[in-house]
Amino acid sequence: MRGFDAILVEKRDLTHGTTGRYHGLLHSGGRYAVKDPQAAVECIEENRILRRIMPHCIEDTGGFFVVTPWDDPDYVPRFVDGCRRAGIPVEEVPVDQMLREEPLLNPHISHCFRVPDAAADSFLATEANAESARQHGARIWTYHEVTRLVRQGDHVVGAVCHDLVKDEEVHIHADLLVNAAGAWAGQIAAMAGVEVNIIPGKGVMVAMAHRVVNTVVNRCKLPSDGDIIVPIHTVAVIGTTDVKVSDPEHFPIEPWEIALMLAEGEKLVPGLKQMRVLRAWAGVRPLYQETVVADTRDVTRAYTLLDHETRDGLRGLITITGGKWTTYRQMAQVTVDRVCEKFGVERHCRTHEEPLPGAERAEYHWLGAPLARVERERAYGRLVCECELATEEDVIRAITEGQARTIDDIRRDVRLGMGPCQGGFCTYRAAGIWHALRRPRVTETNVALRDFLQERWKGLLPVLHGQQLRQERLDELIYLSVLNADHLPGPTVSPLAPVMYEPAGGTQRDGPST
Amino acid sequence: MRPRVDVLVIGAGLAGLMAAWQAAVAGCRVRVITRGPGALFWHAGCVDVLGYAAQDTERPVAAPRDALLHLVNANPAHPYARVGLEGVETALSALQQVCEAAGYPLRGDLSHNWLLPSAVGAFRPTCLAPETMVSGDLARRDPLLIVGFEGMLDFYPELVADNLAEQERPARSVRLDLPSLRERRQLTPVTLAQLFEAPEFRRQVAEALRPKLGRAARVGFPAVLGVHRPLEVKQDLEAKLGREVFEIPTLPPSVPGMRLYTILVEAVRQAGGDVFTGMEAVRAEAENGRVQAVFTEAAARLNPHRAHAFVLATGGLLGGGIVADADGHLREVILGLPVQGPESQTKWFRQEFLASEDHPVYAAGVAVDERFRPVGAKGVPLYTNLFVAGMTLAGDDVIRRRALDGVAVATGYAVGQHAARSVQEAMR
Repeated sequence: MRGFDAILVEKRDLTHGTTGRYHGLLHSGGRYAVKDPQAAVECIEENRILRRIMPHCIEDTGGFFVVTPWDDPDYVPRFVDGCRRAGIPVEEVPVDQMLREEPLLNPHISHCFRVPDAAADSFLATEANAESARQHGARIWTYHEVTRLVRQGDHVVGAVCHDLVKDEEVHIHADLLVNAAGAWAGQIAAMAGVEVNIIPGKGVMVAMAHRVVNTVVNRCKLPSDGDIIVPIHTVAVIGTTDVKVSDPEHFPIEPWEIALMLAEGEKLVPGLKQMRVLRAWAGVRPLYQETVVADTRDVTRAYTLLDHETRDGLRGLITITGGKWTTYRQMAQVTVDRVCEKFGVERHCRTHEEPLPGAERAEYHWLGAPLARVERERAYGRLVCECELATEEDVIRAITEGQARTIDDIRRDVRLGMGPCQGGFCTYRAAGIWHALRRPRVTETNVALRDFLQERWKGLLPVLHGQQLRQERLDELIYLSVLNADHLPGPTVSPLAPVMYEPAGGTQRDGPST
Repeated sequence: MRPRVDVLVIGAGLAGLMAAWQAAVAGCRVRVITRGPGALFWHAGCVDVLGYAAQDTERPVAAPRDALLHLVNANPAHPYARVGLEGVETALSALQQVCEAAGYPLRGDLSHNWLLPSAVGAFRPTCLAPETMVSGDLARRDPLLIVGFEGMLDFYPELVADNLAEQERPARSVRLDLPSLRERRQLTPVTLAQLFEAPEFRRQVAEALRPKLGRAARVGFPAVLGVHRPLEVKQDLEAKLGREVFEIPTLPPSVPGMRLYTILVEAVRQAGGDVFTGMEAVRAEAENGRVQAVFTEAAARLNPHRAHAFVLATGGLLGGGIVADADGHLREVILGLPVQGPESQTKWFRQEFLASEDHPVYAAGVAVDERFRPVGAKGVPLYTNLFVAGMTLAGDDVIRRRALDGVAVATGYAVGQHAARSVQEAMR
């Protein structure tokens, strides 16, 4: 938008990192009102802007902060005061009103406050940003993993990437490199020989198979584990833990983390543990601090811009790190401000003013919208994914117009396979449509089918029990017994296969060896 | 009070229906209660007896009889071992006779597994296949034409043909875009199967297909060639096309599975039994080591079903007869029978979904004695008049072994006889 010739490289698909693995909260800032006022201010500023530029990616659920019997009532005045100082609109909601709006919430909640939290679709939002960037001339190369940075003396002049799809090396020369690699920012900086101390803080999230609540519900207390439920699309997500990990790529989801999410969720919604659990996932927060800390909850959620020229005497490299999904735009703004400065040009930021592609109707997303569309278009018979109402047309568009390299890429575009059956029916259909349209060597389609089944399994494995286990058994019946998909010709390993939730060096689960 | 029925069967999958039919044939008054149709509606509509042996998960079993012999010797607690090889053979022939009598023969026997194309074009090993599928035999190498329908989302002929070709079976695909289908908003396997019953629709299909036949010696359709008279549909298409015609099982709901369900329900009724759907068994009452009644829930109250003998054919983890809770306990839902399975939840699964070895939890189930009665820790039957069949039995991951239908048929058949014998004993 500011006239630079830019290339974005991402090691997998867009949102492969933390963006695609969070709970989907558009922060009001209430969560940080007491502990991290700077982050709170950034959140509410951006909350207002994002509602304007990408309303179609946001469901305006509103948010509650509730005081349960397990929470310290003395926190309440500090919370209200913190919100007011940060400029976050906050109003108390009588408990009986709260229960009318959210009947499943714990009736023993003593206080409830309403803030402008919302649910955000980070897949759609990322695609909207990428599309806008493309329209302004940027090139976006997914499945390009940076393998090294090219340095000439004290100047970074480019990067070498590995194209995972074509399995070849790609050299990119650039006047300036922006390291926005999130939890991987330390690794990228290290390739240029500078140290950036990123603490990957793992957070585990558990999705319930339906909308347990329609409002974002936070515990009114200092941020802690399992203290939030976010309704997003057809599910409700309980988050999250915060565990320091050594490697942003390889980390397990521990049974205690799942048990803790469900136990804490139970305090907000009694009976939650008996409800159907859909899936779990984990992402790593890119927490940055110049000094080493023991507890990652104490690290600021505000963002940091590192100019390595002034910090380390290394020209041509800027790192933007820390921050929240909610503050991504502001982070980009200050980064490009610095880029302009570096090039000695004055070009103003417009990202807070110009709506993103797809926001033309200036309407929030709402839960019933996909169904309304199916009804309007009479597309009931054209559903590839019945759970998430993805039509054949949607899938075809994702394959022919999008940059889908895997069925998982289609999922991020159209929510294929994200509902209760977790790909049971739509994996086969998507593979069939993919094959009919592209007609690749059939072994490539076979790998795509396998990879997607494994990708869904990855998130089921930590939580599988109850009705979801029964569903999974049906999916096994389909893929093993009806289709015999485990005996298809071709390779069974693929470079685009999902990375399982296990520590580096393979599983340490107390399970049978494979 | 004298029970109105002798044998109450819970579950109307293949195992439950086989048991009910056998008990009825043996002269018992039989009632089947079921929440809904069982896994027949989901599966391929063939009888998989043993497709892949545990010791070689890559190559399909060529001769099920030999592999079964090995299996029952190696694993005496396996459901097949409880039935015995002869019992398996008898049960399969009995099913074949029922289907034959209904005009829907199942072809094959324990000496050989068919390899038939699946809806992704993999080679699917199965022991008994309906007449409508056997021309898909992949032991043959003559050219195939795979036919799909524009608008049908549950079958992709290109994928089938290309995978067959990749495995050295000459195959092409064609998609028919029939004007009469264009107005239809939904083209499920069942809709198409109903359409195929009409001669006029078959004429349209044949007409559209004839110019595209080329060198093909046989023509494969999704398994939608009619609900009630599939053989007639197949023969008519063969006459019109001048080629052999066969079916390939689709995603659920399975039309061939529905045919088997219909045939077996009819067989139970013919033998004097009843089948009631929409009845979910929720608990049971026992006294003096005998089950007295099983209760279904209706209109906010519990209805008792009393009988002399009870058959539990509730489908295990797949059917919902066994449930795994969040804390890692495996629970048999109606009687709270002990479930044999991995001690710890951390040992339930492997890291790979399509792992060739079993996910250990799927072999979990109810352990039984030689008469299929559930046993406690010391191997003593918990109830003298309760018999377990099908996937609720412990001992194997029958889906990974491709033994789902075979275990259901064999154990269902055996349990039907044990239940009948127990009724006769009680009457004496």
